[in-house]
Amino acid sequence: MSDTASRNPTWAAQMLADALLRTVAGTTATLRVAGTNTNTDQSQIGLVATTFAEVPVSPVVMRKLRPSWQEGGQSKWELLVSATGIQAQVNALDLASAESLFAMTLAVTVAGQDYLIESIAANEAVGQVYLYRLLVREAGLEAV
Amino acid sequence: MQNAKDSFYVALRTRLVAINPERTILLRAAVRPGILVEEAEAPFAQLPTDVFVLRWLGLGVDQDLPSTMVAEECEVLYSTLGTQSFGGLDRGRALSEMDEELVAMLTPFWTPKLNYTATPPAAMLTSVFWEEPVFAPITPVRDRLSRTARVVVYSYQEAGE
Repeated sequence: MSDTASRNPTWAAQMLADALLRTVAGTTATLRVAGTNTNTDQSQIGLVATTFAEVPVSPVVMRKLRPSWQEGGQSKWELLVSATGIQAQVNALDLASAESLFAMTLAVTVAGQDYLIESIAANEAVGQVYLYRLLVREAGLEAV
Repeated sequence: MQNAKDSFYVALRTRLVAINPERTILLRAAVRPGILVEEAEAPFAQLPTDVFVLRWLGLGVDQDLPSTMVAEECEVLYSTLGTQSFGGLDRGRALSEMDEELVAMLTPFWTPKLNYTATPPAAMLTSVFWEEPVFAPITPVRDRLSRTARVVVYSYQEAGE
């Protein structure tokens, strides 16, 4: 979605967002994306492990959402991700858009903990995304 | 019983390709026929639209037979928002199309049982067969129309299963 206002886009918002993320102890998140997939019968029925690629993005900041505890419920977090960090990986992976990257992402790892993406929102300024906000929840422990 | 589940899915997927090759989904970086097994994919925050999702539910075992018979209940979930070119106003028609495709996919009501742990898949001695689907009413949630259909899938347990 582009801004139709007659203003020249600048990278100010992206640089400001990156600076703010870094000043609040911005860290690195790893997106686990589906790698080379042979798309066989076995991979579609959970018989053959799909290969995964680890895609690091930074700076990111995790923040816990307002607690609304429910029996058996899991904590929800918001992951603030730098748009420049995402764009760098989109270019490196030769993808069409950030949405494509998120569509391929199965889980996000921050500080050794896996999170599942619930929803994705983007903040824009002057027609350019400067921050992605991922609503994530903690993934359960999987058997080794 | 896993062989029956696998054979049922692959049979429906193969039939869907013949019925409507245009129904596809981009999943795990691959374009596939528009049908998937929920338990074999990453958890979905919201189920994808315009594809069939197989969810395995109930299980029953009858051991008072020469061979043990297993009955497994499969719920097929599907939903649509219609098409963008129609502004979603064709979502009823799109869901009807999926209803018809599901009925066609389930016909005939049997398929050979294969063991997909072998490469290539090994044919087994018995077949997998199922009942007619039981369709639930449409569930409209804002612009999304959803429906589920339940099918009981039967198979005989063979030696080694």
